[in-house]
Amino acid sequence: MGDRAQDNRLRRRAFRPALTVPFLAALCALASGLGLAQAGRSAPPELAGEAVRSTKAAFRRPADTPFPGTNPFSPEKEALGKALFFDPRLSRSGSVSCATCHNPSLGWTDGLPRAVGFGMEILPRRTPQVRNLAWAAAFQWDGRADSLEMQARMPITAPAEMNMTMDLVIARLKAAPGYAPLFRAAFAGDDPLNAGNLLAALATYERTLVSPRAPFDRWIEGDEAAIGPDAKQGFALFIGKAGCSACHSGWRFTDDSFHDIGLAVTEDVGRGAFAPPSVTAMQHAFKTPSLRELRMQGPYMHDGQLPDLDAVLEHYARGGEKRPSLSFEMKPLELAADERRALVAFLQTLKAEPVPVALPHLP
Amino acid sequence: MAMIPRLFPGVLVLLLGTFLLAAPARAEEFEVQIHHTEVLNPGISPRVGDVLSFVNHAEIAHNLYLTYEDGTVVTLDTQPPGTTKRAMLKQAGHVIVRCWIHPIIRMEFDVAPH
Ligand code: HEC
Ligand code: HEC
Ligand SMILES: [Cu+2]
Repeated sequence: MGDRAQDNRLRRRAFRPALTVPFLAALCALASGLGLAQAGRSAPPELAGEAVRSTKAAFRRPADTPFPGTNPFSPEKEALGKALFFDPRLSRSGSVSCATCHNPSLGWTDGLPRAVGFGMEILPRRTPQVRNLAWAAAFQWDGRADSLEMQARMPITAPAEMNMTMDLVIARLKAAPGYAPLFRAAFAGDDPLNAGNLLAALATYERTLVSPRAPFDRWIEGDEAAIGPDAKQGFALFIGKAGCSACHSGWRFTDDSFHDIGLAVTEDVGRGAFAPPSVTAMQHAFKTPSLRELRMQGPYMHDGQLPDLDAVLEHYARGGEKRPSLSFEMKPLELAADERRALVAFLQTLKAEPVPVALPHLP
Repeated sequence: MAMIPRLFPGVLVLLLGTFLLAAPARAEEFEVQIHHTEVLNPGISPRVGDVLSFVNHAEIAHNLYLTYEDGTVVTLDTQPPGTTKRAMLKQAGHVIVRCWIHPIIRMEFDVAPH
């Protein structure tokens, strides 16, 4: 365990450079590069170049997808995991697959304010997309799963979602003759068609779901023409005055962490349900969502309570409801109309051209 | 003559007690730095009664908690940038330091008995 933790730490350090003093210096340099700083007050050109480089490096995509040592990648596992992800037999009714809610045609979510579960019941939370999770450190809006393997069991067995038992899923898959060879190809052992391997395969497939390179990535890599001046201004606001990158940090634009951003309160206290009541900061705290591949048409937040980006930016401008749990990083801020347009233009550059997804042929 | 062996355990207890009472006076304080979302383990080997002081050099707030080997959780308050929070080590064994806000934060060390 120590080994894996160490491993993760090292890897993460490589991908998440600290955004500290050099970062602020770079921010100024970047702003001056964009013509936002006052003339005559900018740093010497070489320094500016270096500082911009280090700021951009903090948002550069990693070259490879990490897979844990306990569940390494194989193409056979990926193929099996993909079949399972699209297979409605994983649900009691036989009609709901992972892809029903995490629908690739809708950006791996369902486009709904809140998910629709077993018996068409509306669930308390919105379906998040499932891309770029190979790098994530905590799963679910409240972080109650530590790994994708652990997460995958939750929707299958949740009475309100797929409403199954792992035993029943395994019995069903054993009855479908095509699955046994897929499990044998992907896993060693006498009887590889078991729950642990099913979850491992699903997790492996999910780790392969990585956003393609977006215009923003091409800009980070040095193509100045990849994004427009408004988007560049939006990025400068995002990491500067608007303070968004205090939480939406790194190339996935999330800190994998939990904050109360002062939204309208519901019964759902988020991570607060898992922390002692004395941990005020976790009341109404939810995981910072990635902003890559953001659905521009909304809805937004853990319960879909904000319908569009105008509402989101208005919320951030107001700074959220003042309450003891409100994140330290949430402060009211003035955002002019052109600044809001710039932020939206920037968010747009985090979207890649969609790649076609070939649907699996189920056994 | 026969008194001596009977006295011996009592003396031992007394001696041990003196040691235990004397121990807090020698308690050490270890400083641990927090930078952004990392708690930097300076490679400490503390003993029960020692104090860890976590100094937040990051530009964001943290909320650390310690988990002892038997599952006991000790939560420190939310600590805004530039503040220090202290924790006295109460039990020997393996301790994991994590942050309620940032689950990627993790520091582990062993606490020796007195
Ligand atoms: C009924 C709709 C529904 C189905 C079916 C469903 N999910 Fe989800 N999924 C959700 C919702 C809603 C959440 C957020 C739950 C929460 O935070 O409590 C979620 C969260 C997740 C997450 C966490 C993402 C993150 O960023 O933390 C992953 C991964 C995931 N689902 C994978 C799966 C897999 C794999 C399956 C199939 C075994 C599946 N889901 C089936 C609706 C669904
Ligand atoms: C204090 C940390 C923090 C800061 C600062 C912050 N965000 Fe967020 N953001 C979050 C969290 C946490 C959520 C999810 C909240 C929830 O659902 O309860 C979120 C949600 C969002 C969403 C909705 C995404 C979705 O999939 O629903 C958008 C868009 C967004 N933030 C953009 C921004 C922008 C733009 C800024 C700067 C003006 C910003 N954020 C500043 C933490 C932060
Ligand atoms: Cu923290």
